[in-house]
Amino acid sequence: MDTSIGSEYDSLREEVRAFLTANEDVAVPAGPGFGGDASQVRERTLEWQKRLFDAGYAGRTIPKRYGGAGHEPDALASLVIEEEFQSAGISLGMESQGTGMFVPTLLHFGREDQKQELIRPTMRGELIWCQGYSEPGSGSDLASLRTSAVLDGDEYVINGQKIWTSGAREADMMFALIRTEADAGKHGGISYIVLSMDTPGIDIRPLMTMTGDASFNEVFFTDVRVPATNVVGRPGQGWEVGTYTLRYERNMLGRSNATENYFDGCVDILRESGLIESPVYRDRLLKLEGRVQAMKYHQLRLLTDMLKKRDSGAGGLIVKLNNCQLNYDICALAIDGMAERGVLKRGSKHVRDYGNWQRNYMYALGLIIGGGTAQIQKNIIGERGLGLPREPKPAAA
Amino acid sequence: MDFGLTQPQELLRDSIARFLAQDVDIERVRRVMDSESGRDEAIHGQLGDQGITGLLIDMDLGGSELGMQEAAIAAQELGRAAAPVNFHSAYVLAPLMLAGADAGDRKSTLLKGIAEGSLLITPILEAPVDDGRIEGTVLYVPDAAWSDAFLLETAGSLYLVDASVSGIGITPLETVDDTRRVAEVTFSGIDLGAAESLGGSAENTRRAVQAAQIALGADALGAAQKGLHIAVEYARERKQFDRVIGSFQAVKHMCAEVLAEVDPVQSLLWHAADAWDDGSDEIDHLAPLLKAHATDVASNAVTMTTQVFGGMGFTHECDMHIFYKRAGYDRQMLGNPTALREEAAAVMYG
Repeated sequence: MDTSIGSEYDSLREEVRAFLTANEDVAVPAGPGFGGDASQVRERTLEWQKRLFDAGYAGRTIPKRYGGAGHEPDALASLVIEEEFQSAGISLGMESQGTGMFVPTLLHFGREDQKQELIRPTMRGELIWCQGYSEPGSGSDLASLRTSAVLDGDEYVINGQKIWTSGAREADMMFALIRTEADAGKHGGISYIVLSMDTPGIDIRPLMTMTGDASFNEVFFTDVRVPATNVVGRPGQGWEVGTYTLRYERNMLGRSNATENYFDGCVDILRESGLIESPVYRDRLLKLEGRVQAMKYHQLRLLTDMLKKRDSGAGGLIVKLNNCQLNYDICALAIDGMAERGVLKRGSKHVRDYGNWQRNYMYALGLIIGGGTAQIQKNIIGERGLGLPREPKPAAA
Repeated sequence: MDFGLTQPQELLRDSIARFLAQDVDIERVRRVMDSESGRDEAIHGQLGDQGITGLLIDMDLGGSELGMQEAAIAAQELGRAAAPVNFHSAYVLAPLMLAGADAGDRKSTLLKGIAEGSLLITPILEAPVDDGRIEGTVLYVPDAAWSDAFLLETAGSLYLVDASVSGIGITPLETVDDTRRVAEVTFSGIDLGAAESLGGSAENTRRAVQAAQIALGADALGAAQKGLHIAVEYARERKQFDRVIGSFQAVKHMCAEVLAEVDPVQSLLWHAADAWDDGSDEIDHLAPLLKAHATDVASNAVTMTTQVFGGMGFTHECDMHIFYKRAGYDRQMLGNPTALREEAAAVMYG
């Protein structure tokens, strides 16, 4: 079994190491050890994102004409980069709605002028995006969404409401799924529209989350006018365009690199407290280690499938479900390892790792729910992975 | 980067699966389970003909000189078929322990016999040898009632004792998993001089045990996968409330959870077998971790998939209990998950 990457990648590895050393001053640590003042964190994150994009480590395959490094897709090169960043304990940049979801979608469906205008500033963190998908009545059943856009001359007039919109107040732009044709069926009448968050008629109300951050928002649209040219893809093609993006979201939420960084951090906590000697804690730790290792090699199996252009079948469907739960369970053990110190939160005297463990414990629960709830994931695994039949539609009342 | 089985390994897997489907079907397994002795005399020769007994034995001795990856493939398929054989003992532990014996004609003859499927040798670890005599009772010895010989290990040294010598008493024990049997073996003061001394080393035995642990983990994985397979088949056909039960989320989600836990174990197994073959130091914590994780996941999997069958799952008639019990045996033998996690932790964290 060949898990080697080949000597042709040695020079890339050297290059990455040199980059990490040269940029030590700005490099953002991955895992629990980064935090502090929110605006400083934000500033440093954006600066790091610029350096990563300009050096070709973020958005590596984005064509040169859009400001990217223009590399051919190469899963092994990506793996080398990930490995080096992981062993240095450094973040691979923003895994944001804009960089992780919008840009891949735009590259696939967008018009040339849209790509020219939006990709580079998005990748450099100069344009921050939020996603307008869920609505109060449309969560897991997303295609039932009702926010509508009516064509008036060369503009759409949007009315309705979005919810669970992460980062809406910090965002410059939104990509949204909006019903543009009332009579074109549930999936057929939806368009994928981009809009500036400065547009008159947009009202944002923060929703405080359980982590104490107001990272979620409700976004209300009252006669919001956007140019009809802001549609990505064709009008009415939005379901296809928007679910293409969701595939990226599933990948984003399922990464295992951070999982290993957090597991190592958990080991450190148990060592420092001496609890690593306790058979009960050791047993919990080793149970997690079995899962971490299994998912680590599962990723290599999926990578091999990708390199061989082979369908991973059910193997790909389980990643989000498993990793989100695993991240949650790792944080739970780390917090138990802190004993009463585990009650502290960010900003408190005596708090460990800026309160990242407590925050991420709750944030991981949010991710278990978000991006397709665990229960929806299980439906997908059962139906697409195991061939079990869908739930029959209820008979009309 | 090519993380997965090679083409020859996939062919091996498919050919073993084909052989088992044809010659070791569930009716045969049930006949052995229902028999008093639990012995399937013919299976060793058949496994020999298929090359399954000699996977880890050198080619000049009639084996195929392959590695742990191939042995794990065989173990997983045997588990999937619930084949009535203690593969981990007779065809992993025994040949690997013997491989570390002093070279000589006797060693070659023994390994040849194992590769042919004509010689069943059962290893006994930490055998009761004291002051030049073999004296004492050993419990839970696989296949003991029909072993040709016992390979005793004591402080790293190996001794072969023919099962027919006087002074050996064997009492079969009733096991929950009827597909594999164990016995109590009592040695009544046999002079060590009557046994054949074969040399050996503690290090070699340690590696052989790790290989057998991987094989048991693979067997449990195969059993869990088969349990999920038949449960999903049932859930696609069985109707209640005018619907197939697999369309109910309560049932669908159980199956999905089992798949989500079981599928990544395959990758960990591949990695562990690979690490064994490479002689990597990592194996010292990986072998116990793999067996602990695989058998824990398997136990949970068969617990869930048995429930998919409802009341049928509790019957003798439904095959599910065969895989349920299979996983239970794999779990306890050569270290259960809790014990093995402690072993892995000691290696990793002192």
